[in-house]
Amino acid sequence: MTAEDFNLPKQTHDIFAIMARGHFISSNGTKDGMGRLYDIINNPENFDRLQAYFNVIRYNIERGNNYFYFSKTSEANSIIEKKLETFERYIDVVDLFASMDNKITIGSRFRPSEIAEECNANVRLKQKLQKIPMYRSETLLNKVRDICDLMSRDSFLELEDEQSESYKVLDAYTYLLDVINAIAIYDDSGDGQGSGIIYN
Amino acid sequence: MALQVNVNDILSQLYHNRGVVEFLFANRENITVNELLAREDLSEEQYQKMRSLDLLYVYEGVVSLNDAVVAMFEDFMEIGEVTPGFINDYINELKRHIRFYQEVHEHRFLRSIKKYLKRINIALSREIIKLQKNVDDTYKNESNYRIKLQKLEDYRLKRDTIIDFIKKTEEVIEETRGLFSLTNDTELYGIVNALKASLIENLDFLIEIQTDITDYINKIQFQLDVYVKAQRLKEVKDHGALHFRTNFNEVVKSLNPIRFNGVKGPRTKIAIDFLFTDDGHILCQKVAQKYKISRLLMRGMAGKLPGNFKDKMVDNQIKLDTEKLVDRFLAQNKFNLFEYLIQYKFPKAIGDVKLEDRMSLFVEIAMEYEKTLDFKYRLQWYEYKDDNGKDRRIGYTVILPTVEEKKKKEKKKAA
Repeated sequence: MTAEDFNLPKQTHDIFAIMARGHFISSNGTKDGMGRLYDIINNPENFDRLQAYFNVIRYNIERGNNYFYFSKTSEANSIIEKKLETFERYIDVVDLFASMDNKITIGSRFRPSEIAEECNANVRLKQKLQKIPMYRSETLLNKVRDICDLMSRDSFLELEDEQSESYKVLDAYTYLLDVINAIAIYDDSGDGQGSGIIYN
Repeated sequence: MALQVNVNDILSQLYHNRGVVEFLFANRENITVNELLAREDLSEEQYQKMRSLDLLYVYEGVVSLNDAVVAMFEDFMEIGEVTPGFINDYINELKRHIRFYQEVHEHRFLRSIKKYLKRINIALSREIIKLQKNVDDTYKNESNYRIKLQKLEDYRLKRDTIIDFIKKTEEVIEETRGLFSLTNDTELYGIVNALKASLIENLDFLIEIQTDITDYINKIQFQLDVYVKAQRLKEVKDHGALHFRTNFNEVVKSLNPIRFNGVKGPRTKIAIDFLFTDDGHILCQKVAQKYKISRLLMRGMAGKLPGNFKDKMVDNQIKLDTEKLVDRFLAQNKFNLFEYLIQYKFPKAIGDVKLEDRMSLFVEIAMEYEKTLDFKYRLQWYEYKDDNGKDRRIGYTVILPTVEEKKKKEKKKAA
């Protein structure tokens, strides 16, 4: 049984290899021809075939804003603690990105040294960065590096150029934003402006 | 311009230095003179010649191609900045020539009218394609969100300009319909019809682009809103109330990407039968290379059967003989396995057995008859001359027949 028998695109293996590792496929990714893979999944004909094909082995392709990922149809929610921890940390990271002078969003390119530099100059940012729980990161720069590394492993960022250590924010980052958007804050006094908190 | 130039001169210069032109086009605005001259395909003389023809400009040590050349390439490739302004010039020219034609019905004006109608058609389509590409590119790759918003707004304006031009062109065509039908020119009729069709199509396309731009701007706005929310969440979190004052737990629990649910990649066992096929062999080789297992590399893929395969049966013969060969080796105790194979006189029918063949035989026997052989784990050296007459030497493990030893022991016991 090969991909050809189902009239599947020949990149099916590559797509599976990436998504089964739990990675997102973003439309603006460049590594491993990711943008091209995105286009292939995004083609409605391919999408239906791939969906049917992967459903057999209980993987479900989920579509987001310019990204795709796998979910499992029969899933065991066994590691909730770790999941909560992961997303608590992502709130910290997104908050840090949101508080930067030059906000890092989808399509942004940056180097860890730039962030570290800005955090060094701004006490508030520095505190934010220092409070993000990461293991064994002594200097600010190393901490930013660790964060970038973590986010690349979760395929929200892409290390675009190893030489200059420049990262690019992929479309999958929208997923984090969607999650944050989905969280409701209770007994919130209206539009947030009355709460006395000053936002950047 | 410094020199009198003609088309031929420019073309031949461009062609002659096409490598350099391509390089400069790909790396606009960041190549210095020194970098350029360091390339092997451009001599100092050629460089000066290109400069004298104004094909290259130098500003503060940075070399760039003549804008006209760059623009030409960009036009053909439908890339670069959107510059709809010149469509207006075309429309004005068109109007001018129509006026001329209204005064004197001369063929030369009609020709110009056709030319400009065609140009407008092509230019409109091209600008719209560029607009689409630029909007996409800006949204996906512009890193600074303020610039991004501004750029998208600019593109929205440009889109409006193009729509204006389309309207203008439609008006002109409408006004001169009577005149055009008077000419009775089938070619003109075709051009006008094509233009009309593409105007409608382009208008549709522009509406689509407009939705894209609005969509992108909304998305950026969404991102900014979410960022404000993220900061509020963080604030709540810092107060230790994240799990109580928000539905963080429920939301996160319901997230379904496999990465955050500890789903490991699938581990499928591969059928043994499959491993014996050619595809399986390729797989084995990959695994062997990754983990550096030489044993998996042993079995080669079956090559194409040659036309004279009957004559080559000799190869098989050697294999068939291995067992007997080993028996004979076990029966003697003068040589170790390597020496034995090196000096062994194979039957003439097999032909010339080379050193390499003997070595592979050595490896084969060592692996297959592991149990009946006594591995000494000691190296000995074998010296020989290779094809180029150089002295070489190879180390090999000393392997002795075990059966001999057992026999000796038995004899001793018996004694």
